[in-house]
Amino acid sequence: MFGFLKILAANVAKGPSTDPFPFVESPAPKRFRGKVRLNPALCVGCAICRHVCAGGAIHIAGRPDGSGYDFTLWHNTCALCGLCGHYCPTGAISMSSDWHSAHPQTEKYDWCERHFVPFLACEGCGEHIRPLPSALTGRIYADNDVDEAHLARLCPQCRQLETALHLGRNGHEDHKRA
Amino acid sequence: MKTTSGPDPRLLHGLETLSLKGGFHWTEDRTGNRFYWFRLDASEGLTRAAELLAAFEARMCTVTAYDPAREHGRTRHEIAYHFACAGTMVTVTVPLFEGTRSVPSITPHFRNADWNEREFMELYGINVVGHPNPRRLFLDETLDRGIMNRVIPVSVLMSGASSTDLWERILGGRGAEAETPGAGETEERA
Amino acid sequence: MSSLDNPTSTLPIGPVHVALEEPMYFRLDVEGETVRGVELTAGHVHRGMEALALRRTLFQNIVLTERVCSLCSNSHPFTYCMAVENLAGIPVPERALYLRVMAEEIKRVSSHLFNLAVLAHIIGFKSLFMHVMEVREIMQDVKETLYGNRMDLAANCIGGVKYDMDAELTRFLLSSLDRVEGAVRKIAKIYGSDVMILRRTRGVGLFGREDARGLAVVGPVARGSGLPLDVRREAPYAAYPRLSFEVVTEQDGDVHSRAMVRMREMEVSIDILRQCARDLPAGPLSVLLPEIPAGEALARSEAPRGELVYYLRTDGTETPNRLKWRVPSYMNWDALGVMMKDCKVSDIPLIVNSIDPCISCTER
Repeated sequence: MFGFLKILAANVAKGPSTDPFPFVESPAPKRFRGKVRLNPALCVGCAICRHVCAGGAIHIAGRPDGSGYDFTLWHNTCALCGLCGHYCPTGAISMSSDWHSAHPQTEKYDWCERHFVPFLACEGCGEHIRPLPSALTGRIYADNDVDEAHLARLCPQCRQLETALHLGRNGHEDHKRA
Repeated sequence: MKTTSGPDPRLLHGLETLSLKGGFHWTEDRTGNRFYWFRLDASEGLTRAAELLAAFEARMCTVTAYDPAREHGRTRHEIAYHFACAGTMVTVTVPLFEGTRSVPSITPHFRNADWNEREFMELYGINVVGHPNPRRLFLDETLDRGIMNRVIPVSVLMSGASSTDLWERILGGRGAEAETPGAGETEERA
Repeated sequence: MSSLDNPTSTLPIGPVHVALEEPMYFRLDVEGETVRGVELTAGHVHRGMEALALRRTLFQNIVLTERVCSLCSNSHPFTYCMAVENLAGIPVPERALYLRVMAEEIKRVSSHLFNLAVLAHIIGFKSLFMHVMEVREIMQDVKETLYGNRMDLAANCIGGVKYDMDAELTRFLLSSLDRVEGAVRKIAKIYGSDVMILRRTRGVGLFGREDARGLAVVGPVARGSGLPLDVRREAPYAAYPRLSFEVVTEQDGDVHSRAMVRMREMEVSIDILRQCARDLPAGPLSVLLPEIPAGEALARSEAPRGELVYYLRTDGTETPNRLKWRVPSYMNWDALGVMMKDCKVSDIPLIVNSIDPCISCTER
């Protein structure tokens, strides 16, 4: 008992160890797994996030007119496990450190992360496609001297054709140089 | 990588002779931990196997009953008894053939089989012959036996499932933007 | 409570009771203040999670198993992932093996601190309870900073881990461990010498070695009765074959022995964490997944409460054919019938706490 009195006295001297929230902000650490965020500029609509989501919190639906797709994530059934972000090939989904989740019952169905991702016409054949995000083309064609911006606006078939033609030309020039 | 010697060869040999034809193999994990798998006849083999395992100081870890064909208990089940023995795992599986709904209790050899047997009795509706205390373990008497054979997820009962109906509510308020909710390539998940 | 012609009476305790931390129900035959017979009734938080697991994909089950329980939440997805890896023969990268051990040991320290704090709470030593909980708060901050949550670490995925360490986080971890270690040493001295604690815990809830073997108890309950059972030693997994550590045992088999096992294990865990931080190899965090074939596999690990076993059976589809897990409290709970025999009614909460029960784990 006597040994503990010293600890007790030290604890009393230290004062309260809780944050006086809501009178001051209570920030979360950088890695805190809070509300999920989507960066629509990076999303390619592969739906791996929807596939691995344990709570079924993600909904991805194409618009009937072919203009793009809607991404909806309902925070109320999200388990904050981070699997979506872990498996996302482009890093479009991430967890923010926003831990605030109190909201009125009337707003519960609006407690969503919503984004519209537009499609564009392929510069080759005109089919409606999701253009490749520049972060992705940068990674794919890092070692190739190609017009990335143009390739990004092509559908997969046209892009394949275009890169094959390009590599063919370059290979031919390399051959001449050698 | 591992130094433990593993189970006594006499135990493995004994279990192998009890096994059904071709019903013995072993596997190893990446660290070199061994797992021995035996398949044997429920009525005679199980009691003999339990005797043997007890004699060689195996520790019973758990028992898993399952429905190998996902037929929801209409035809047959299998029961896997898992033991730890000298740093390895020994699994003895008994298939219950059509018409057989009971296995002998192994509580005379393993005291802790008591709870495990009561659990698969109530979950799968399998009978255990010679159990010292065959009352319910987790489920209330008012529930039918064999609940795992016809399961209703609580998330559905409590409207917590991520259903089409739920998504219509979430997307519904945004009619202008999402004209037909759920249209396109999406499929719903219960 | 007793009368002359009927010396024993029946006393129900639970499932909701001020002195119990978990929803368990005991029907006791008492003679005066002494318990003569114990009947356990389980099932108050049975949720049918194993049935639910059959309707979830192999990926979704990582998340489901992490939510079986909160105190040993990391052990569940970890062992489940090991079962999938054993089934498909997936080679987990070295770095991931060490990171998995770190997550496990961090959880073990917090879990043991929680149990020891509750012991003080039951005795009525509230200021000690508050102090131990505050020390645990250092570990909670470690979890929140390294993994992003105070309880559910979400550290594991099939084939590796989802988180990484860097120099700054390692420094933070090591300095936090120093603080916890200093505090734990002082707490250990109090638990080992305080008259009030000794009087309430020594010789209470006796559980002999033979009973421990017969009822196949595991974890600190087995080790408190002198059985050196530890899966980390018995069947090493992850990075444990490359780490050196002691299997802590105590011989008396009472509430105090079990508490002291946990107390000393925290120092062992802190040492393991330092070894991991020192030896953490470079390399990838996870591997690309192959097709998961049809088959069956087992995996075991040493959770804070003892041996955790996962059995997985697949049939080549996305969802398991059967997923079964058995937690340490399954046998340890059954052992309460022996521990509580002939104890005083007032000692029941202490004895129950000494097995560190986790009912939501046990009933699933």
